[in-house]
Amino acid sequence: MSETLGLALGCLMAIGLFLYTFWPENAFASQRQKTRLDYLLERKEQLYENLRDLNFEYRAGKYPEEDFVAQRTQLENETAQLLAEIDVLEGQ
Amino acid sequence: MATFGSLALIIGLALAAYNLFAGGVALRLIATGQQAAISPERLADTARRAGIAVFIAVTAAAFALVYAALTNDFSITYIMEHSNRALDLKYKFAALWSGQEGSLLLWCWLLAAYGFVLRLRHKTDVKLYAYAGTIFAAIQVFFLAVVNFAAPPFSLLRGTIPADGNGLNPLLQYPEMVIHPPMLYLGYVGFSVPFAFALGALMMRYPGEKWIKITRVWTLVTWLFLTFGIFLGMHWAYAVLGWGGYWGWDPVENASFMPWLTGTAFMHSVMMQEKRGMMKSWNVWLIFSTFLLTLLGTTLTRGGLVSSVHAFAQSSIATWFYVAMGVTLAICIFTYIMQRDHLRADHQLESLVSRESSFLFNNLVLLTACFVILWGTLFPILSEYVQGSKVTVGAPFYNRVAIPIGLFLLFLTGVGPLLPWRSTSLKAVKRNFIVPTIALWVTVAVCLIFGPRPLSTWFSEAGYFYALVAFAVSASVFTAIASEFLRGAGVIAKQTGKNLAAAMYLLTRRNTRRYGGYLIHIGVVIIVVGLAGAAFNKSTEKELALHDSMSVGPYTLECVGFTQDSNANYDSNYALLDVYQNGKKQFQMAPEKRVYTASQQPQTMVAIHSVLSWDLYTVFEGTNPDTGQPIIKAFLNPLVSWIWAGVVLIVGGTFIALVPSLTPATAAVKAPATATLHAEPVLKGGD
Repeated sequence: MSETLGLALGCLMAIGLFLYTFWPENAFASQRQKTRLDYLLERKEQLYENLRDLNFEYRAGKYPEEDFVAQRTQLENETAQLLAEIDVLEGQ
Repeated sequence: MATFGSLALIIGLALAAYNLFAGGVALRLIATGQQAAISPERLADTARRAGIAVFIAVTAAAFALVYAALTNDFSITYIMEHSNRALDLKYKFAALWSGQEGSLLLWCWLLAAYGFVLRLRHKTDVKLYAYAGTIFAAIQVFFLAVVNFAAPPFSLLRGTIPADGNGLNPLLQYPEMVIHPPMLYLGYVGFSVPFAFALGALMMRYPGEKWIKITRVWTLVTWLFLTFGIFLGMHWAYAVLGWGGYWGWDPVENASFMPWLTGTAFMHSVMMQEKRGMMKSWNVWLIFSTFLLTLLGTTLTRGGLVSSVHAFAQSSIATWFYVAMGVTLAICIFTYIMQRDHLRADHQLESLVSRESSFLFNNLVLLTACFVILWGTLFPILSEYVQGSKVTVGAPFYNRVAIPIGLFLLFLTGVGPLLPWRSTSLKAVKRNFIVPTIALWVTVAVCLIFGPRPLSTWFSEAGYFYALVAFAVSASVFTAIASEFLRGAGVIAKQTGKNLAAAMYLLTRRNTRRYGGYLIHIGVVIIVVGLAGAAFNKSTEKELALHDSMSVGPYTLECVGFTQDSNANYDSNYALLDVYQNGKKQFQMAPEKRVYTASQQPQTMVAIHSVLSWDLYTVFEGTNPDTGQPIIKAFLNPLVSWIWAGVVLIVGGTFIALVPSLTPATAAVKAPATATLHAEPVLKGGD
């Protein structure tokens, strides 16, 4: 490839990429501010997953009954508090 | 092509700089709510599109260099120095990463490719991606500045253009070298993505831990590439360097291993953040360190900081990397100090006997290993600075420290899955550990009674003792993981009425991350068994006349001929060895010695016969100048194939972990704040 052809191709590419970058586009993605409610809903999913894991591991024989009950109560209390806060925020 | 390539790189740099500048301004406008002539969202979108355009520009530059190699354009210095006309097509392609300038261009291209995907997926979380994309652009600006100003790949040769090039380094003319560097670089470069997300999430005070979920696939894919790249490098060293081993604690090997260690620690500890909102500061520093170690690794490989058989480039670009590491560290420290209140843990460690504590120990051990290796790698530089003389730290130092650390880590690999989250009782410990403990002691007994060594020698030499511990702990860990699979599958089989194999499949599909991870752990166990085999290596060396023989282990090797071969790229000498076992001929081996025409450099091509229990590894060491007879070195390396088999399992396990789990359906529950909740989330198909 000659130097001139290389230069021409390079310039063409520069123009193409410039147009792509600055082409007026009205439909660009935007996002609303993430709220505490969004965060709590994400956290709720995680707590449910933790509960599912706990139940499954208990059934698989990994926990003695007393360990399982103590841990499940702890997790459920945490989830209950979270759900209550979600209820309050959703009510506003 | 040189003009086109150079222009493409300048365009790439300009676009990356615009992405950084416009992205930064847009994020500042959004954060402060200031008004501007252009809406910040529109500005951010042009920045994002500039990031996408960088990929096109850098791809054009990489194409230009490969095209120049394929068309033997020796007017370009890089092509003249790293290629020649007779070079095989695939190695001409590999010339792209065989020298410093080309490998930095490859780095830029892979970085641009990761950035391309990142920017296309921005709708997942526009703001977080905008932060990550802008940080990513800063990394791109640095690397593109290096290839534009410090190590330009399209520099033209002054004076007469030679008819042929110098050729590719013979060590690199091996099929694996066509894929090993790109794999390793995909791993190195890929850690820029979780780094950009972690730093971005911290800068914007991202609420919650969802950024970890968003980056999980990136981190896992990157880790897979790095792991695969490291093992390809080991296999290359084993098959090409001709010393019978695969890991020599070379500084460049260490450079790839260090980010792997911190990256592995990150992948484990980040689970604690996701599940329990713990170790947030620790995790951001782990990923910051991993990224910094990838920069250090590149400095070691490409900056000529330390001498190594793997450091194929020597230059003065180290200064650029020192500055980059310094600036990165300063930004990380500053951001951490400003936003550290955002990283407050939601929970504390409740018990020292829990899944969390096992992750914590696992992290501490991985980081200790990383620190030891970093210390050993940098010791020659530090000793030269302090004492004026370079003191090199050899393999015995690393083996003395790293083997016990590795064995402890292996032990934790088995312990972790058996411990429940939060805390556990003594009763649970007894229940979960009894079978693995039995497996451990049974293996010790079997090794001592039926093993390849007399009973007393297992304890007299460190190598044998460590091998015994490795076998025993491996058996224990394997049992622990297998019992996890069996117990889980048992539950599903009971619920669904499926057979055990189908239940195992369903179990894995329901939680691909966990059970894919367990498969990776089994792969690690198999690799450790393979590594432990090195304690029983045997070797012998002999000058062989025609029909002379030598013995190693159960094999007898008879020299039945010498032959020579030639092509445009190299001349080679072979020794033909018939291999006998129990008096019967089994197979023939042909170790080879090549001399490459362009560089006039010799290169050994070893011959390996691999079975499950060992490798027979033969090397044509050269010819005795007095007698003209070949000198053959033969090794019997037990269990080496287990290492490569373990890697296959790691790759498979990682792929499984990348597959999304079956979506859980959760029973809707509502509870008043004061009441105790008896939620019963369920999985589709029953749990």
